[in-house]
Amino acid sequence: MKFKSAAFLEMKWIGILCILFAFAGPARAQTTWILKQSTLTYHVTHPLHHAAGVSHAARGKGICNGGKCTFLVAVPVDSFKSGDTNRDLHMLQITRGAQYPMVVVRGKLPENELKNGTLHADFQIQFAGQTASFKQVPFQVKRQANDVQLNGTIPATLTDFKIPAPELLFVPIRNQIPVTVQMTWQEQK
Amino acid sequence: MQVTKGKFVSLLLGFAVCLLAAVPLRAQTAGATLTGAIAGPSGAVPNATVTIKNVATGKTQTAQADAQGRYAVANLAAGGYEVTVTALGFLKATSTVTLAAGGSKTLNFQMTPSLSLSSLGFSSSVTRGSAKEQALLNKRSRMLQIHQKLGLITFFPLVATVVTSFRAHGRHTTAAARDLHIGLGSATAGLYFATAYYAIFAPKPKGLKRSGPTRFHVAMAWIHGPGMILTPILGAMAESQLNKGEKLHGIAKYHGDVALVTAVAYGLALLSETKPNWIPGLGHKVAALLPFHHHQGIRDAMAGTRMTKHERQVFAALAATN
Repeated sequence: MKFKSAAFLEMKWIGILCILFAFAGPARAQTTWILKQSTLTYHVTHPLHHAAGVSHAARGKGICNGGKCTFLVAVPVDSFKSGDTNRDLHMLQITRGAQYPMVVVRGKLPENELKNGTLHADFQIQFAGQTASFKQVPFQVKRQANDVQLNGTIPATLTDFKIPAPELLFVPIRNQIPVTVQMTWQEQK
Repeated sequence: MQVTKGKFVSLLLGFAVCLLAAVPLRAQTAGATLTGAIAGPSGAVPNATVTIKNVATGKTQTAQADAQGRYAVANLAAGGYEVTVTALGFLKATSTVTLAAGGSKTLNFQMTPSLSLSSLGFSSSVTRGSAKEQALLNKRSRMLQIHQKLGLITFFPLVATVVTSFRAHGRHTTAAARDLHIGLGSATAGLYFATAYYAIFAPKPKGLKRSGPTRFHVAMAWIHGPGMILTPILGAMAESQLNKGEKLHGIAKYHGDVALVTAVAYGLALLSETKPNWIPGLGHKVAALLPFHHHQGIRDAMAGTRMTKHERQVFAALAATN
């Protein structure tokens, strides 16, 4: 009887552990990623000039669950610096940056693409009071331990966000304002 | 199998009854419409997926919201429905609705972001927009655009004034040549002060710290501004002396020198804002002559922003796709 009781207790604990593991399985499936550092650069061209504005102020978070990752990246519009005060203020004005002070990127990508190679992300960018969708934008991925480095270019245009083209000497800048992205994401343990 | 006439008529009648019954049934099931709008904390949520499940039959139907977050599903059978909305970056939202035959209902959704700006650590003071500040920036921008255009227009009479100055003094000078020079100089001064007005009185955002070409541009204004005040005064004195048949003397003899320094500073100020990237090195040489060339802002301004090889490739690829 005593033996049976001990066996029963052992079985009971094994059962409890099995149940715990069964619940722990799906819980472990969710991973959180934090944007560790970033360099976002927009480029504008004019027949006389090329200018680039750089920001390191982006913050981001990603959640991967069930093989899919959703992420959010946000950066203040006024954090982009081109090396010229007037140009930055003009950019802020023309993109309605005081009224809509954040660039917000919401996106998704398959979790299995977070490995060395190329991933394709779908995302929406809220900027200048408008939302534009981008599909299958390629990013180069370099994975190192818990970090993932992403490099790519977002093919943004002024018309995507209904921004009137600023002019210099009566000549407007080009419609393309590609944004080069360099980001390092870190998996949270 | 033989079909008798009576059986055939019965079958025909039965078929007709079925048809008659089916027609009103179809009219009853078609026609209910469900519409709505999907919004998040910062406005419409575009391209959301709307899944409508008939509670009784379990049959599902999906629809895509448009760019303004609006959706519409027509031809729904009467009954209870479970409506689920999924959108990128938002938590799934579910609601129920009962549709009457041929009726229409509106079911709006307020979506909650799955990841929010506050979860990223941005305070509301950073993320909250200000219409007042935007209006200030708009005014500043409008005034500076007028400043830029007037400044460019001013450049032409300025050059003409400098050119006519060679016939406005010396042995071969004439009253007519001096009048032309004075007329052009006056026009330049008038346009110049109008140009300056739009820069001086353009509203400035709080805590504005100038950097880059703007800093250089403003530094040049401290030279050509006083120069533009002094030059006409010295010019009037010189004109008075020449009219009296005197040789230029006193401070009046510096009219030409002051005017030249003013014109050069003005030209550099104009160039600092419009210098093409394909004039390499010019800025570095000018900056090296300046007493404040060690400033990072000046160095940045003069370094220009030439494209890297990678950036040129990016632009070439984009140009090819558009």
